[in-house]
Amino acid sequence: MTGPTLAAHRSPELRLPRLLAGISYYDIASLRDHEQRYGPLPLWGGSGRRRPGRLIDVVEASGLTGRGGGGFPTGRKMRSVAAGAGPAVVVANGAEGEPASGKDRLLLTRMPHLVLDGITLAAYAVRARTAYLCIHGQEIELRDALEDALAQRRAVDLDPVPIQLRGIPGRYVASEQSAIVQYLGGGPAKPTFAPPRPHQRGVRGKPTLVNNVETLAHLALIARFGDRWFRGAGLPSAPGSALVTVSGAVRRPGVYEIELGTPAGRVVTTAGGPAERPAALLVGGYFGAWLPAESGWRVPMCHAALKAAGGAMGAGIVVVLPGSSCGLAETARVIRYLADENAGQCGPCVFGLPALADALADLAYHGGRGRAVERVAALAGLVDGRGGCRHPDGAVQLVRSALRAFGADARWHDQRGPCPRVARAPLLPVPGDTDWDWA
Amino acid sequence: MVIDLHGPGLWYATRAAGLVTLLLLTLSVLLGVMTAGRFSSERWPRFLTVGLHRNLSLLVLVFLTLHVGTTVLDEFVSIPVIAVFVPFAASYKTFWLGLGAIASDLLLALLATSLLRDRLGYRSWRMVHWFAYACWPIGLAHGLGIGTDRATTWVFALTVACAAAVAAAASWRLVTAVRVGAR
Repeated sequence: MTGPTLAAHRSPELRLPRLLAGISYYDIASLRDHEQRYGPLPLWGGSGRRRPGRLIDVVEASGLTGRGGGGFPTGRKMRSVAAGAGPAVVVANGAEGEPASGKDRLLLTRMPHLVLDGITLAAYAVRARTAYLCIHGQEIELRDALEDALAQRRAVDLDPVPIQLRGIPGRYVASEQSAIVQYLGGGPAKPTFAPPRPHQRGVRGKPTLVNNVETLAHLALIARFGDRWFRGAGLPSAPGSALVTVSGAVRRPGVYEIELGTPAGRVVTTAGGPAERPAALLVGGYFGAWLPAESGWRVPMCHAALKAAGGAMGAGIVVVLPGSSCGLAETARVIRYLADENAGQCGPCVFGLPALADALADLAYHGGRGRAVERVAALAGLVDGRGGCRHPDGAVQLVRSALRAFGADARWHDQRGPCPRVARAPLLPVPGDTDWDWA
Repeated sequence: MVIDLHGPGLWYATRAAGLVTLLLLTLSVLLGVMTAGRFSSERWPRFLTVGLHRNLSLLVLVFLTLHVGTTVLDEFVSIPVIAVFVPFAASYKTFWLGLGAIASDLLLALLATSLLRDRLGYRSWRMVHWFAYACWPIGLAHGLGIGTDRATTWVFALTVACAAAVAAAASWRLVTAVRVGAR
């Protein structure tokens, strides 16, 4: 039996949307809607061709990489979990930590069955006995909706390994994969030192496959339509599609599905184009980088190209900074947020990030008598690469990119004091601004 | 009875039991204040206040046990058993859960001293019973901080009504105490 195919997906000009094919503005896709659109969950059980190892082969051949930020090849991760000792655990990470990202939430609130299919397929492939779907603990409506979706699946006995819904604390570092793994094992939701990585020793010491929910949604489609279909979009080196969240000074902010390798500028055009003259693009989120508008416009959205440009693909975030905003002030606010959000475990986060945030705030809001730029750069060098997890490194990457993209601005601030644009209302979302939920 | 651990049933039970606990605890506090203020009238003898206060307080403990038990059993967020008794021992919403633990610890102290009242003597029992005035607002704050339904209008209205009732009772008690003192 060949799996069902979406006719539209065969034609090159209609390669997208894939994940967002059935999206409705208001309604959550029921199990029936979902199966009508994509076909039933392909049975990878039984004998012959459809062995667990074969599914991993297909995923590996598809070239799917993690869509949560790391960009690690999913097939390779599955293979090492499957090869690990003892029964494995599958963890779907739907606790979107990036304030400027909305894609995981969109998937979970609109097409939960794509994600749930992906979890079941992943559990099958690595022979897991336990499967978790993690969301933010305070997302009450989402929990209600997902419980409902799970009940629909239980009624027809769709998931051999029951999918357990878990709520994790809503902090930035809590959605880091080792933090989730430690929390699911009964510990605090804080990152742990790696190695051992979760695929070696994860939840309660078992080999654990942690995947972003978008990655698992892609897996649900790859299992149905195959690896060649998946490679039909994107670049040979970065195949497939990805969800991106576009915000800032654009006409139609929102979540869009793009082919990997699409230039950042074209992504902005997809979102209605700039609403005013853009000065820079923040690509990849708060662990990503600022790219000057002219050069950033042409940079392809994929891990390799963005890394070469000094940034990261991250969770696929694009924020357009208008010329009327001050990039340094925006960066200072974000770094302050990241400093406040540290887990309080290592020196670079406990002492380094607050100092870096102070220095940057000085530069942005007070001027530095010609010494602030130097101080920011020096502090960045002291923090980089010294933490237990990548939290401080991500912050430093953002700061360095700000000094590059807004170099002339930074010197102006340093010598003459804050520019008039710092008075403009903040652009980048920082949860602490509105959220009094400090426990 | 089968308790389904993979579903929202426990979650709904937790929320319901929490709200009932708040309501009963408020009533119990009101009756306690009336007892202390020696409230009585022709149609409401004092033994009625005292008896209701005792029995409602025991009912509070029943619903509190339900509330706490279903919270721990519900696996959506991991709340270890120790966090039920030791404040701030949970990693999920540490502060607000901690308030809940403090309130229930105080309630347990009230229960224990009331059961042992004959052996303790009136003065020490009375001293511990003052903690009731701390227990109630801490429990209320716990609900406001972490309650799933805290943002819905009717739950918020219920909370405000509870607070208003206790505030009214407390001021009645203060006024009568001052009058008695002045006499």
